[in-house]
Amino acid sequence: METSERLPQEHRKLFRERMSLGLWFKSGEPWVWLTATAVGTSIVAVLGLIGIIAVKGLAHFWPADVITFEYANELGAQMIAGEVVQSERVPREQFEESGTGRVLDFSGDPTRLMIKSGNRKVNAPDFRWIYAHDITEREKQQELITFERLEWGNAYGTIVELRQDGAAVSATNPWRELNTRIGRVVDLRRQAQVIQNRSIDRINYKLEKLRLKQRKRELQGNFKTSDLDQQREQLNQEYAIKERELNDIGIELDRDEVVIAIAGGRQSVIPLRNIVRAWQPNAMNVFSKFGHYCASIWAFLSEGSREANTEGGVFPALFGTVLMVLLMSVLVTPFGVIAAVYLREYARQGVFVRLIRIAVNNLAGVPSIVYGVFGLGFFVYLVGGTIDSVFFQAAKPAPTFGTPGLIWASLTLALLTVPVVIVSTEEGLTRIPKALREGSLALGATKAETLFKVVLPMASPSILTGIILAIARAAGEVAPLMLVGVVKLAPTLPIDGNFPFLHLDRKFMHLGFHIYDVGFQSPNVDAARPLVFATALLLVIIIIVLNLTAIALRNRLEARYREALN
Amino acid sequence: MASTSPQQLPGLALGRALVDRLTKVVVGVGGIAVIAAIVLIMGYFVWVIVPMFAPASIKLLNSVELPTDEVIFTTSDDRFEILTLINADGSVQFLDTTDYKTLSNSQVLSEPIKQLKPLYPLADTFAVRTTADDLMFLKITHNVRFDQDERRIENKVELLFDANAINLTGVVDFDVYRSETKLRVVTLQQDGSLLLEEYQDVDDYFELEEPRTLTIDSWNRNPEELTVMLGPGGRWLYEFEESTGDYRLLNVASIRRFSVEDTGTFDDTDGDFVVTAPVLGRYSFLVANDRGVLDHWTLGPVGEGQGLRKIRSFKFKDPIVQIVTEHRRKGFLAIDTVGTAHLGYTTSERKLAEQPMNVVPKAVNFSPRADRLVALQEDVVDVFKVSNKHPEASWGTLWGRVAYEGYEKPVYSWQSSSADTDFEPKFSLAPLLFGSIKAAFYAMLVATPLAIMGAIYTAVFMSEGMRKIVKPGIEIMAALPTVILGFLAGLWLAPIVEKNLTAIMLLVVIPPVGVLICAYLTTFLPSRITARFEGWFGALTVPVILLLSWLTLAYGESIWQFIFGTDMRMWLENQGIEYDQRNALIIGIAMGFAVIPTIFSISEDAIYGVPRHLVQGSLALGATRWQTLVRVVLLTASPGIFSAVMIGMGRAVGETMIVLMATGNTPIMDINLFQGMRTFAANIAVEMPESEVGSTHFRILFLTALVLFIITFLFNTIAEVVRQRLRARYGNL
Repeated sequence: METSERLPQEHRKLFRERMSLGLWFKSGEPWVWLTATAVGTSIVAVLGLIGIIAVKGLAHFWPADVITFEYANELGAQMIAGEVVQSERVPREQFEESGTGRVLDFSGDPTRLMIKSGNRKVNAPDFRWIYAHDITEREKQQELITFERLEWGNAYGTIVELRQDGAAVSATNPWRELNTRIGRVVDLRRQAQVIQNRSIDRINYKLEKLRLKQRKRELQGNFKTSDLDQQREQLNQEYAIKERELNDIGIELDRDEVVIAIAGGRQSVIPLRNIVRAWQPNAMNVFSKFGHYCASIWAFLSEGSREANTEGGVFPALFGTVLMVLLMSVLVTPFGVIAAVYLREYARQGVFVRLIRIAVNNLAGVPSIVYGVFGLGFFVYLVGGTIDSVFFQAAKPAPTFGTPGLIWASLTLALLTVPVVIVSTEEGLTRIPKALREGSLALGATKAETLFKVVLPMASPSILTGIILAIARAAGEVAPLMLVGVVKLAPTLPIDGNFPFLHLDRKFMHLGFHIYDVGFQSPNVDAARPLVFATALLLVIIIIVLNLTAIALRNRLEARYREALN
Repeated sequence: MASTSPQQLPGLALGRALVDRLTKVVVGVGGIAVIAAIVLIMGYFVWVIVPMFAPASIKLLNSVELPTDEVIFTTSDDRFEILTLINADGSVQFLDTTDYKTLSNSQVLSEPIKQLKPLYPLADTFAVRTTADDLMFLKITHNVRFDQDERRIENKVELLFDANAINLTGVVDFDVYRSETKLRVVTLQQDGSLLLEEYQDVDDYFELEEPRTLTIDSWNRNPEELTVMLGPGGRWLYEFEESTGDYRLLNVASIRRFSVEDTGTFDDTDGDFVVTAPVLGRYSFLVANDRGVLDHWTLGPVGEGQGLRKIRSFKFKDPIVQIVTEHRRKGFLAIDTVGTAHLGYTTSERKLAEQPMNVVPKAVNFSPRADRLVALQEDVVDVFKVSNKHPEASWGTLWGRVAYEGYEKPVYSWQSSSADTDFEPKFSLAPLLFGSIKAAFYAMLVATPLAIMGAIYTAVFMSEGMRKIVKPGIEIMAALPTVILGFLAGLWLAPIVEKNLTAIMLLVVIPPVGVLICAYLTTFLPSRITARFEGWFGALTVPVILLLSWLTLAYGESIWQFIFGTDMRMWLENQGIEYDQRNALIIGIAMGFAVIPTIFSISEDAIYGVPRHLVQGSLALGATRWQTLVRVVLLTASPGIFSAVMIGMGRAVGETMIVLMATGNTPIMDINLFQGMRTFAANIAVEMPESEVGSTHFRILFLTALVLFIITFLFNTIAEVVRQRLRARYGNL
């Protein structure tokens, strides 16, 4: 046995024999296994994390069955219809101490279900816990309808009657009739939206411009307003026309109502203008459910949010994130590349450049919130404030650039990610064999020509890798944005049809901040949680895709160098 | 390469040479600009922070001849545009501070003024006692109006309560407190007893209704020597005796009864007590005696009840004869017998500036913003400019224990704002530093072993095929937005941990032990089977870990219940250990998760980079693979691992979103694993958006950002230097 302990692993494999526990420990093998456990734990953690987000995020869109429960507790027999959101075991003592005075007639812990019963304003509260052992009957009613509403969350119920202008409408198939009418409402809503976005917002924007123009003249001591008044008059007239059109659509929207019966015997009237969609989850088969599922995901990606961000989609946040990141990469790329080229190709290599390189490297490790503080103090208050007092005197006291906004957020993140681009570009430049540069120079090219035609093209994959990594970092960064431009609800997108189309001074929404805000600042966390998971999943997917692209690029790049060197 | 300079090449087209030149310039300027921008960050922080430590100064601006020699009191508007003089004959005069010409003069009182007290806590109203012993209330307002874009100030003086007077015949001293709807007047009668009158439903323009009264027994001292002062909210009453320095504290929260809470003496050594002045909010006041000592006393818990306590002293060369306090901060001005004015601040215990005034003035008053000081002399009034923007901050208050008003003992506390206007901001960075270190510590406790052990296995024992998947997989973790980790930790993990506390604790032990048992069992397997899985053990542990974790989570709580009869959460509470749902344990797990990839990746690189021949040599000499690992590989790679830990620590210290979302963000100093904390980074995220630009709070937040910057920069630099030296060493081997 003495020999086998001394023998290296390869040998031991040849003379495999049983080991005593003590000897096994002495050989150090258990520690190897412990390190394997560490890797395993890390893998479990990563996969588990992504799995949880994926499952919880994706499940949100699946049209859940609506189950009608009849149950009896200390308050008597009750009836409730809704989606089962969660189920958990409650310790027996906790149940017994809860003061209901009831005794369990079975052993073990009772289970309770969280039911999303919707119908906020009619049923209160819209999330309710019921004990599984209280349930006397559960049923899946085929004709139960889930209404997704603009306000007050979902409603669940069956159609009692459809009303038009307050009078009942007779229909052979009320469900089909309801859908037709919802389709009409959706169309009308879209028309109203178009008028609002294309005309009214534009007129308001122009009116505001006129006001600023007038104020500017006043500041210059010019009190002539006749031409401005004329323009204003014209705009006001246009506004009145459009407003009338909107009013007409509003009247049309108010035409229909549906009366639904809610489990437990009550009725509720839902104006059709408040309905986004309606579906009969219990009557759907897997395929129609899947269709609905895809439509829900699309709605999530393409629609704005409702109800203080707890419902609806994340389009403005997605749009804001992408736009901010694009702006940032436009800013960061030239500076990052120029700095790297300077450090590697032009600066004299010495102690100073080495120090700078260390400093740049370290900046990547400086907490992002520090950049946020810098961005707020320097960009927003100092630079923005100065811009305001020089160019936007007329708009004062309301700040234009002297307040957090898109441009400052992009600049701050550009500063935050510039080390990433520098480091990556430098790495690419270092790898280019000296022989290539010298060959180019020997053929009579100038240094600039060598740089543009040989060095930079060869380094382009690593530059791209740097930019992608920078984008991935910027897309997930929230802390600095909270200080320099992100808001929970932006009234307008930073891009619209009004000149100059891209509004750098506007505040914007962001996926990461959306998660923070909805998850932690929202009054109705239960209602908001699935949406936060979905948003988180979206963000994770964006970032993982970006990173995988960067990794794939880097691998291709490595292969290319090997070719170049051989 | 120098020889290829384009100028030396004959026949090079001018255009190409120009492009070459231009590139050089652009790259040079751009490169240096970017680097300069980096330096700018640090420079900007310093530029914001430095004014906080700039010394204060008092400077004489004007010495104005007084229109009358009967001025008894001066006051001013918020921006010191109007100087108001209150004359003994009962008239009020407004002066323009640009030229000190009289704007208007109005005779408001028919009787001359005998005594005047500002109506606590208002700065614009004064309680005036006339020679006819009537107590009247003067309100002086300055309204800014825009008249055709021209700014005008309307000065107004009026008698409140429809010129209603309270009779003060036979009263030795009085004090008045006014809240929105209540007026409390305390009067010291000639027989030494106190009369407290409370007027309810008070409105500026209506007569006072009949008050409710409370008579307080005499203290049996000479009434002529006594001073009375109403305390915070008019609920407390201070009574001082001048000659002995004795005091009495009365609780008069209810108008129906009073109780003597505390009695004592300000000075237990010799020396006569001279003068007192309340500090903003009246939770504390300043007491000066004739030996040049100025003590700061506060109302606060003493033993079981409330009492007065001395919290700090200032020493001056000459005795202080006059003290005035600021209207919006806890600063003061003390004037000594030779007429030198000393500017000081209570909280930070700083003597800020000195200014000789030659004679002791009749009255001194700060302007509301404390940027001007008006000293009333015999026939002139001296206006001083005070520049004293940040008296609250000093290294002592930022890092040390500070005796705050109303606290039992000096504490470390961070509390930057409150709804009250008379609130004393508490700017101790210690709890935040403690919180940052605590969060980083628990995160490192979770991350370091996992990451380093994982790196060891990945670099040394793992098969190439698996390594190619695992390494980028774990590195992608580094890119996961921390806001997602924070959200999961706060909303998903925290409730789970709270319910399964025992199981979570057991998770540290059970899966590793289980894996070891399984591993030992594999030694009984024939080697041709085990050899096939060599290098894939890491993956093989996954099902074991999953199974054991699930079992632990399912039954862990029952084990604790079985032993202790209650769940761990309850048990902890019974032991007196507080449990917050969002605590350091959650932070440890979540932030540990965020830090693992950083440490893993760098230490894996270091271990993987250990030259092969060292390993092979060791194995060839007969060492087992574990011995080789510990004594050769790790020893060689240890600087790299060290730098990985440093960089991980840097990340943990500065992480914002996880801490913000997964702790309660309460700035407490408690090492308890089950309580939260507030870190520098989270504090900035919470308070920065609301902070007033240029205020002390704003600059302190910048200071904390700079501290974070320096800490992480330092950690990273050490790590980088170590790593570079290691790289050189590998090159030599």
